[in-house]
Formats: sequence, C-alpha cells, structure tokens
Amino acid sequence: MARARKVFFRRRKVCKFCADKIDYIDYKDVKLLQQFIPERSKILPRRISGTCANHQRPLQQAIKRARHLALIPFTTD
Amino acid sequence: MRTYELMFVVDPRVSDEDVVAMTAEYRNMITAGGSTITAEENWGRRKLAYTIDKLNEGKYVLFYVASEVGKTALPEVEHRMRQNEKILRYLTVRTDEDLKRAARRQPAGGAAPSVPREDHDILPLGIDTGADEEDI
Repeated sequence: MARARKVFFRRRKVCKFCADKIDYIDYKDVKLLQQFIPERSKILPRRISGTCANHQRPLQQAIKRARHLALIPFTTD
Repeated sequence: MRTYELMFVVDPRVSDEDVVAMTAEYRNMITAGGSTITAEENWGRRKLAYTIDKLNEGKYVLFYVASEVGKTALPEVEHRMRQNEKILRYLTVRTDEDLKRAARRQPAGGAAPSVPREDHDILPLGIDTGADEEDI
C-alpha cells in the first residue's frame, strides 16, 4: 500500500535578486540588506532566504561592507 | 577606466563647516592625483548601527571616483584618513567590474546605475509566479 500522500503545500522560494532583477547589490542600500539580516543580525542563509548562489555571494560582501561602515550592526545584544 | 566609491564617517562633534573643509581637502587630493570625481554625496548626521569610540552618530560623506589604471591618489587619501582621528571609518570599493557584470546581465534598457538608486520600490516587474505552489 502506498504511503499516505502528504497534502501540504510548501511555498517555493525564489531568489529575490533574480525576481526583482537586481544585479548590483549596493552596500549603501540599507533597506534592501536589512531584509537579509534577521533579529540577531546574522546573515540569512541561502537555505532560508532562497537566494541563489550567484546573488548570495555579492549580498554577503555588501552586508560586510555595510557593517564596516556601521550602516548595519554586526550583532544585537 | 576604473570607478571607485570612497565613503567615510566623520566624528559628529566636527562641525558641518569643518566636514565641508575636510571633504574639499580630500577632493583636491583625489583630483590632484589624476582622478575625477563623478559625484559626491553628503549624507549628514546619521545614527551608527553600533558605537564607535563611544559615539552613536556619525557624519557620512561619499565620493564617486573615476580614474585611469595606475593613476589614482586613493592610497594616499586612505593613508591620510587613517591618520585623521576625526575619521571613524572609511571604505574604498572598486565598482567598475561589478557594474559591468550587472549591465551585461541586463542588456535590455535597465542598465545598472553608476549613481545610486535611492529606492528599490521602482522595480515591480510582475514576475509570473504561477508555478509557485509545489505539491510535496
């Protein structure tokens, strides 16, 4: 007997940068970066945000640059 | 031609006039070194995301610089900024490669901006997410 088919839907994650056609991730764009730094100010992993590898890399770079300039925090205590 | 962005954060206790004077000094250094300043932004007083030297605010200034290969005064400018105690942070970023790559990915019209776009809300582009829900 086939196992019971699970009936729930999972929202498919889409890379925000692919969807919005943002190709240059600017470290000055705090509003954009903030979407990828949750409460503890850690960088949101790809598996959660759905960002593709090609965009996660510049995103990570941009977040680190913004942190250096104190535009976004390293951590919240 | 290479393009750079140079941003620095000044101690908020420095008066606005002095910030302007400092900015002018760095601007002169950059242009004297053979680069051109394509744009300049003064963000003014802004809250810092974390305290630096017991300060909670800083004054942000931003230069957009373009220069030919090998003809740039940016290393000297950085050196001066490092020695200047009024400067809390500075960052130079080379942008031409990334902007070019971004422009290549988007050949139709929407060329990547060399000047910052303030709001990203102007990029709606109704992507068809019809196949969004997935049966597991």
